Amino acid sequence: MKRFLPLAAASLLLLAPGAARAIDHDNIDGGRPLRFEDADSIAFRERAFEFGIAPTWPRGSDFGLGLSAEYLWGFALNSHVSLDFDPSLGGRAGSDDARADLGRVGVGVFHNFNRETLGTPSFAVRADAYLPTGRGTRGVDFRLRGIMSRTIRGNERVHVNLDGEFRTDPEEGGRSFVPAVAVGYSRPVGYPRRFDRTALAEVTWRGGEGGEGGSGGVLSVGAGLRQQVTVRSVFDVGIQSDVAAARGAARDDLRLVAGYSTAF
Amino acid sequence: MERRHFLRAALAGAAGLALGPVLPPPAAAARQNQKKPLPELPKNLPWWLTNRDANHVFWTRGKYNFAVYKVRPLALDLNAVSVGHSMAYEDMVTGRTAQLETKTFARIDNVLKNPPRFAPSERFIGNTFSRRFGVLEQVFDQTHLLHSQTVDVLAEPSLSRAEKEAEIERLYEIYRTTTPYAITPLPLNMGYLYGQSYSRAFRNRYPKVNGLFWGYHWLQGAMYDALYGLTLEEQRKVYDVLGRQYHDVELYRTDRIFMPMTAEVSPRFSARFPHIANVFDNLHMLHDMVNDILVTEGLTRKQQDEQVTRAIWLVMEKAHEGYKPGDAPEPNGWRDYRHMEGMPGMGLMPDMTPEAMFMQGLGWMSLGECHHCSMPLPEGRDAWRAHSVTADGWTMRVRCPLCARDMSLETKGRAVLYVSTESPERPLVLISDDQGNLTPASDRGRDVVFLEQEASHAGCSEWSQAFTNRAAFDAFVAANPEYRGAKARTLAEWSALEGKRPDTYFKRQGPPGNPFDGAAEKKNEGSKP
Repeated sequence: MKRFLPLAAASLLLLAPGAARAIDHDNIDGGRPLRFEDADSIAFRERAFEFGIAPTWPRGSDFGLGLSAEYLWGFALNSHVSLDFDPSLGGRAGSDDARADLGRVGVGVFHNFNRETLGTPSFAVRADAYLPTGRGTRGVDFRLRGIMSRTIRGNERVHVNLDGEFRTDPEEGGRSFVPAVAVGYSRPVGYPRRFDRTALAEVTWRGGEGGEGGSGGVLSVGAGLRQQVTVRSVFDVGIQSDVAAARGAARDDLRLVAGYSTAF
Repeated sequence: MERRHFLRAALAGAAGLALGPVLPPPAAAARQNQKKPLPELPKNLPWWLTNRDANHVFWTRGKYNFAVYKVRPLALDLNAVSVGHSMAYEDMVTGRTAQLETKTFARIDNVLKNPPRFAPSERFIGNTFSRRFGVLEQVFDQTHLLHSQTVDVLAEPSLSRAEKEAEIERLYEIYRTTTPYAITPLPLNMGYLYGQSYSRAFRNRYPKVNGLFWGYHWLQGAMYDALYGLTLEEQRKVYDVLGRQYHDVELYRTDRIFMPMTAEVSPRFSARFPHIANVFDNLHMLHDMVNDILVTEGLTRKQQDEQVTRAIWLVMEKAHEGYKPGDAPEPNGWRDYRHMEGMPGMGLMPDMTPEAMFMQGLGWMSLGECHHCSMPLPEGRDAWRAHSVTADGWTMRVRCPLCARDMSLETKGRAVLYVSTESPERPLVLISDDQGNLTPASDRGRDVVFLEQEASHAGCSEWSQAFTNRAAFDAFVAANPEYRGAKARTLAEWSALEGKRPDTYFKRQGPPGNPFDGAAEKKNEGSKP
């Protein structure tokens, strides 16, 4: 538990009123607040911190609390790297262990191939490596994500994320490859009177992990909102639920998400 | 006491009406344009002019970022400008040009009256426009970033004047070196750029929305002198005057003959940073050209796309490499980098010579001369010694405090007087009310004293001066025995004075004819990029 105190203190410091810099509420990053992300990288030379907290009610397990912190750096035009932490407290889906867990630390790189035009969606790729830093974790997990964002009408956009997760040392009975797909929807709300809010929704499917997580896939839905709160920062809230799970797959009945992102 | 006498204003106004240009009727302008063939897209354009990347660039870090919010009404007005631009563009590319003067205007006007708290993302308001003209959007974004960060630097109270100037130069270097599509800092020939086959289509057909665009550009130009060299307290009080002018008058003017130029409304900033003033004017002209292209009838979509690409190229720094201000290998054409005399931060205006500038409602003048006494203004390193008067939508540089005071008395409405002292770090800023009563905009005016021993205006910058305090006045008198016995006047004493008509004043005459009457277009036909 002690290891989380500095993180919590840092979060509170950044949540305090004051200067921060505009991460655009229209630019959607993974986990803020839903799973999907759009095909835009952060800006060249931008640095950002993103924090989140997610009270979770897993089916068949105790209440849990997920935390997240991510640092992003736009190191080149249309590209950024990231470093993320996803610790948790209490119960979590697919595990009997309710102790605090640092989780896997992830490092990633994101590249946008093109901007969206009238005839072409925007495409991007993201590659992450997740290190075995959590309790009982083994080997390095890799995730490759292909992303497409496209306007469908006015300023309504659809985002498709295709994931392939590769596990170098899966747990007993676990799979070494887990696919997932997320279809997200976003639209600014309040036009033409306000310009600081974006609504989001998603449907995701994640393949069975095997082992403790169960062998079947999980279908989830979510909805959220991103609200610009200062010129430099965005607050986000979301609600997610694993609405269907096949063959005993672990699932969360309800997951609430709240986050704060700031760029500098 | 009513101190305004409006005499010169009335004379100037009458002269403006008599000599001033008359907007060609839309039908005539359209016929004029139809005579010229659509220019071709130049060959061998650089690859980046048609790039497919997103290329978002973050702002340069600095403690000054968002300092504009310290002058909150200005920050909010600038946020609304972003919305206004995007909404109009979006309607232009989504088949809603017919409603520009009605629904679009009303929608934008509502935002201008109720500005958003934060600068919105223009690419999502103008989603179709951004997806269609992605490179243009990149040019706009990068230059708007220079715009906004320059304002932030000027509004940051913890920086000295020298630090602000150095940081603005650094921001400019970052602007021009980060991406290849920086706008040229050279003074481009506005007559040429505004003499294209499609030019004036937007102004003529959509005067109300065009008025909004030019109102935005007025604000984006005027804000620099409203901030440059002023304390935060002064900036806020000056913007109280300027913001009122913007909301009450400038946004709704449909009688402008040309877009507001940065040097017309921020001459002190433009004299110090001519390259940046030119970038902003060239950017605003690019806005105008795009507007015109999008509403010109008969253009196919491909032709529109090509003309927008060509318009971008016309103002790119890369397109003008190897030239310097003053060069004119194609006089009155694309490669004509002469500037208005006395103002390196203003390219040649349509149908004008470098010697004479026509200002609407004010007539002909030279930007290098005092607008009250016609004597030459300080230049180069001494340019900071010039004073200025802001009133009724214009800002004029003048040569001495007397000229500033008397010129403000001759204009209607509220005015702002920027009076230099012996210290470039400590100018005096005065606000004049409707009656001509002067009030310091900050306590920097508390100890100020004036020298005024009226004589010929050939020497007015000597015998009319402002000093930060009595000690500075005494030091000047001690060093200049001819002023021994001169009275150190308080602000109240000095503001009650009124000088004689300057003996050196003469009304400048421009070339015969009516500027902006389209003659510049005829001259440009032989020039091809």
